[in-house]
Amino acid sequence: MERFTSSVTDSSLLYGNTHILWLDQPQVLNNCRPGEFLMTYIGDGHDPLLGRALSIHRLREGINGPEFGLLFDVVGRGTHWLAQRNIGDQISFVGPLGHGFEVRPRVNQMLLVGGGIGCAPLIWLAEELIADDRNVTLVLGGRSKEQIFPSQLLPPEIEIVVTTEDGSLGEKGLVTGPFKRLLPWSDQVFACGPDPMFEALYQVTKQAGSGKSLQGLLEGRMACGFGICYSCAVFPKKGGVRLICTDGPQFDLKEIYS
Amino acid sequence: MNLAVDLAPHHKQQLQLRNPVMTGSGTFSNGIELAKHFEIDALGAVVSKGTTLRTRRGNSTPRTIETPSGMINAIGFQNIGVGALMRNIAPTWARWNVPAIVNVMGESVEEYGILAKRLDGVDGVSAIELNVSCPNVDVGGLEFGQDPKTAAEVVSEAIRNTSLPLLVKLTPSITDIRPVVEAVTNAGAHAITVANTIPALAIDIEKRQAEIANGFGGLSGPAIRPITLRLVWQAASVTSLPIVASGGIANGKDAIEFLMAGATAVQVGTANFLDPRAPWRVLEELTDWCKTHEIQDVREIIGVAHHVD
Repeated sequence: MERFTSSVTDSSLLYGNTHILWLDQPQVLNNCRPGEFLMTYIGDGHDPLLGRALSIHRLREGINGPEFGLLFDVVGRGTHWLAQRNIGDQISFVGPLGHGFEVRPRVNQMLLVGGGIGCAPLIWLAEELIADDRNVTLVLGGRSKEQIFPSQLLPPEIEIVVTTEDGSLGEKGLVTGPFKRLLPWSDQVFACGPDPMFEALYQVTKQAGSGKSLQGLLEGRMACGFGICYSCAVFPKKGGVRLICTDGPQFDLKEIYS
Repeated sequence: MNLAVDLAPHHKQQLQLRNPVMTGSGTFSNGIELAKHFEIDALGAVVSKGTTLRTRRGNSTPRTIETPSGMINAIGFQNIGVGALMRNIAPTWARWNVPAIVNVMGESVEEYGILAKRLDGVDGVSAIELNVSCPNVDVGGLEFGQDPKTAAEVVSEAIRNTSLPLLVKLTPSITDIRPVVEAVTNAGAHAITVANTIPALAIDIEKRQAEIANGFGGLSGPAIRPITLRLVWQAASVTSLPIVASGGIANGKDAIEFLMAGATAVQVGTANFLDPRAPWRVLEELTDWCKTHEIQDVREIIGVAHHVD
């Protein structure tokens, strides 16, 4: 839980408005899992004040040892600052935080659904599932082709289905189209994206009468990321209140929406 | 070097702190989470999440927004309720050597009495902090702390119902804090926490609406530190009770500033959100400063800046 600092090893605009940073992986991340996140601190002063919650995007073996990647859309002050980091710059973090995806043993057909930048943690999950000899179909959705993670950067074993709202790449429409088709095939579903996407996926599952669990990685505004600020509340339809940072961020979407 | 301070010298049991560094209510949950990672007993005291008579789900989201060197929050007292706190949390506190102080918020003067009575004699609870200053609730909170007479009534009601030491957490949202400080002093409070968040607002100009669901919230963080510092100074000038400073303390230097302005202890709050080890770091930095400056007893510096008043 202590803040740690890592050096940037690589930084580039990967596609559209989406940037990737690679950093030296400290030992504290040795056992981290897809779906867990880091609080990422911007600058070394108090403005901006708070950390940014970013999913761990990928791990890789770099030239000088293991590295971890962060994939993010450049949208605000924090992500602009991150995108301007150069090789050798230091960034501080707290983590890994939260509960990531839970993969059941002995199931084979894995359906992953990412909306926009929600693809960030799913790509690592997909790689791990492929390495574990499972069948993976990854549905990537975005407003246009600029929001779609480049398929040539993914392992060829992954079946990729792309949807864009403007039809500039793949099927025209939302991820719910291919999701509806692929749901009967799948043994387990993992999703990450905006809240309306989660609700739509839940509705499709409900209409299909499917009893399958639907693991979603929720996002919410966080001040701390580790359960003390109570900012990232989520209110399950059936009552009560949960914190995304410590009770999640992975939730069974049925628990949230039914 | 002595770092110990007493937050309730006028109380028969006193409220001895190993050092002046506490945590601020609402910024440390109930301490259980961070006690798994850091040495909780090294701190001066731990203050609970604001606790109410009944469990509360809190406000809708978004509940927070970052502002320059600060943040606005309107959590709305999401908490498990006093009963669950006593049953599920206090037994853990009882195993700690650090005093745990329960921050309570009532919707009426009577509710503060009921809360005080429930907590009286509970193993693991060392004191109560009466929150008469929360800006994020519909009923009670802030308005109790803006009127000297009502604030004093809350203190009197609590004293009638508990033998625990009582801190009163005051609001900065007031023309002059001194009459409230005097009123709660005369009513028999044992220490005064200065202060809570400052009522504030931020607007999302693209959505043309308030950034947080509640509309208004409370501003905290380094941005408010100079304001709190002045309030601590003013409070110290009209009471002999220990003052606990709360508002923007992020490092050892900040803590020393507040001690010099007249605080006996400090609460580290929003700083915990950006560094879970912040209270421990503040303590280390405070200790280092005292060593470097050959301070034998931290109490030597309490209020020393007042000689230039």
